[in-house]
Amino acid sequence: MKDSPILLKVKNLRVHFPVRGGFWNRIIDKVKAVDGVSLTIRKGDTYGLIGESGSGKSTTGKAIVGLQDATKGHISFMDSDVTKKSARKKMNYNHDVQMIFQDPELSLNPEKRIFDIIAEPLRNFEHLNNEEEKIKVLKLLEIVGLGPDSLYKYPHQFSGGQRQRIGVARAVATNPKLIVADEPVSALDLSVQAQVLNFMKKIQKEFDISYLFISHDLGVVKHMCNHIAIMNRGRIVEIGTREDIYEHPLHIYTKRLLASIPEADVNKREEHHKNRLEVEKYYEQNKDKFYDENGEALPLIQITDTHLAAIPKNMKKG
Amino acid sequence: MQEVESKDINLKKLEAEAKANSTPSSFKLMFNEFKSDKMAMISLILVSLFILYVIIASFFINTSNMMSTNIMNYFAKPFTPDFWLGADAGGRSIAKQLIVGSRNSILIAIGLTAISSSVGIAYGLISGYFGGITDLAMQRVYDFMMIIPSFMIIIEIVNIIPSYNAISLTLILSMFYWMGTSRLIRAQTLSESNKDYVQASRASGTSTLKIIFKQIMPNVSSLIIVDTTISFAENIGVETGLSYLGFGLPMGTPSLGTLIANANDADNITTYWWTWLPATIEIIVLCLAISYIGAVLRRATNATQRRSTK
Repeated sequence: MKDSPILLKVKNLRVHFPVRGGFWNRIIDKVKAVDGVSLTIRKGDTYGLIGESGSGKSTTGKAIVGLQDATKGHISFMDSDVTKKSARKKMNYNHDVQMIFQDPELSLNPEKRIFDIIAEPLRNFEHLNNEEEKIKVLKLLEIVGLGPDSLYKYPHQFSGGQRQRIGVARAVATNPKLIVADEPVSALDLSVQAQVLNFMKKIQKEFDISYLFISHDLGVVKHMCNHIAIMNRGRIVEIGTREDIYEHPLHIYTKRLLASIPEADVNKREEHHKNRLEVEKYYEQNKDKFYDENGEALPLIQITDTHLAAIPKNMKKG
Repeated sequence: MQEVESKDINLKKLEAEAKANSTPSSFKLMFNEFKSDKMAMISLILVSLFILYVIIASFFINTSNMMSTNIMNYFAKPFTPDFWLGADAGGRSIAKQLIVGSRNSILIAIGLTAISSSVGIAYGLISGYFGGITDLAMQRVYDFMMIIPSFMIIIEIVNIIPSYNAISLTLILSMFYWMGTSRLIRAQTLSESNKDYVQASRASGTSTLKIIFKQIMPNVSSLIIVDTTISFAENIGVETGLSYLGFGLPMGTPSLGTLIANANDADNITTYWWTWLPATIEIIVLCLAISYIGAVLRRATNATQRRSTK
């Protein structure tokens, strides 16, 4: 995995939103939604970006797709700089980088037929004739397990899982190299989640796609991702392979997140409960050490080849 | 070659299957909705036949001939073969004036609705979608247009311009009647443009103009259809009111407003009722019928309010 070429490199990305107020509507403060995030996604990776609500993970994803302008920092895709909008436009960036949205209810235009929805990126990037376009859309529908009868239906005639699969079909229409999946299953119920996730894995193999998988669900991430970055308060606090994060969590926030995964094992219920209380106690006692005086996460330090964590320097040996 | 052909047939077959399962078009939905509401169906037939009739019939009427004074027919009684609806003080046929006047008023209302609604829709969509500075600037222009007394200014402009006709009057009126539509559309666009499907379109590489007019506009279409219908009824009133005051179409051009203005005379109200009553009834019936049609269109475009079961 280490040897596969670098697909996307995010360097020190910052996205700040101005807070306006006062008599002249001046900028009186800013919200640091993303504050210095660096990521490297290699070809074939499924990169998990985890964090609680408001930690800036969705904003990072949007900045990578180009829906949100970066305040500072650089994003490069296959060795070309795509931070600027003009650069993205020139190289048809969104032909290669697509997005799956969180809520399929909102991400499909309710007034458009499925054919028009899936054909939209094709019309913008591939310029096929009518017949080729129709064949391509029918093929995509078949891949996502929907019949040709859905071609002229409207989104509201489908169930949530089907709608999300239509969203996936739209995202893979142009054979992109990277798909940013912004909590793709969090709006779906559990049985449908598995269906959509397995399906995403299947097309990953088929089309050789890399994913940036944004989620707050650690169970789902364990199932999907080989690389994981944990985000907290706009910064990455821990980054590493799946084993690094799940076997050797170092940052207290990661530990806390891992302890929050629900366990279905009734016999060990007491044990889990005790474990959780311990983690929580440790968190309360030590949280000052892991954040600086402004409440911001510390800089990342190298633990092993693949593992980085934002822990105090004197704790590194552990 | 063989393969291409088999693929073709395959595509056609699949296409047919897709067509069979497609949802009914919005046109069909509207038709069904009209069928399930008798009053609206009658209104639709009445309005469309009436508009067709006055437009066609007015071709056979020589306006200057009709408007010339004929003292012999001074207040001729209605329901006679020559004067179905009688004649006014100048001996001019009320029925003929009604036909030509209706045509003038309705065509001006159609033109006014078309221009002012298009401007209002585009203005609202652009202002709502871009937001920020663009929205701020555009809304100040809107505020300015709202606070000026438009009726007064129209009267002033009509007085200043030496000669004008139906077309220039329509253009002058259009300058002052796009604001209501624009505010309505802007409000809806504000909420629509924050939805994820707009972001999805941007991520699919669709241009801003296409997003506004092809992605967002269909989602405010129900509002557009209803607002346009209602403002058509309103716009008949605009021209009629202006002509009633004597500032509408130039002298010698009949309009619904000039006919209703006959009611300014006490004698006309009590004795010669046929000079003003037909035009008044026509406006009431027309506006009522149009609002019935508007109600049905609103229901047809909103799935939760539909009455038809299909």
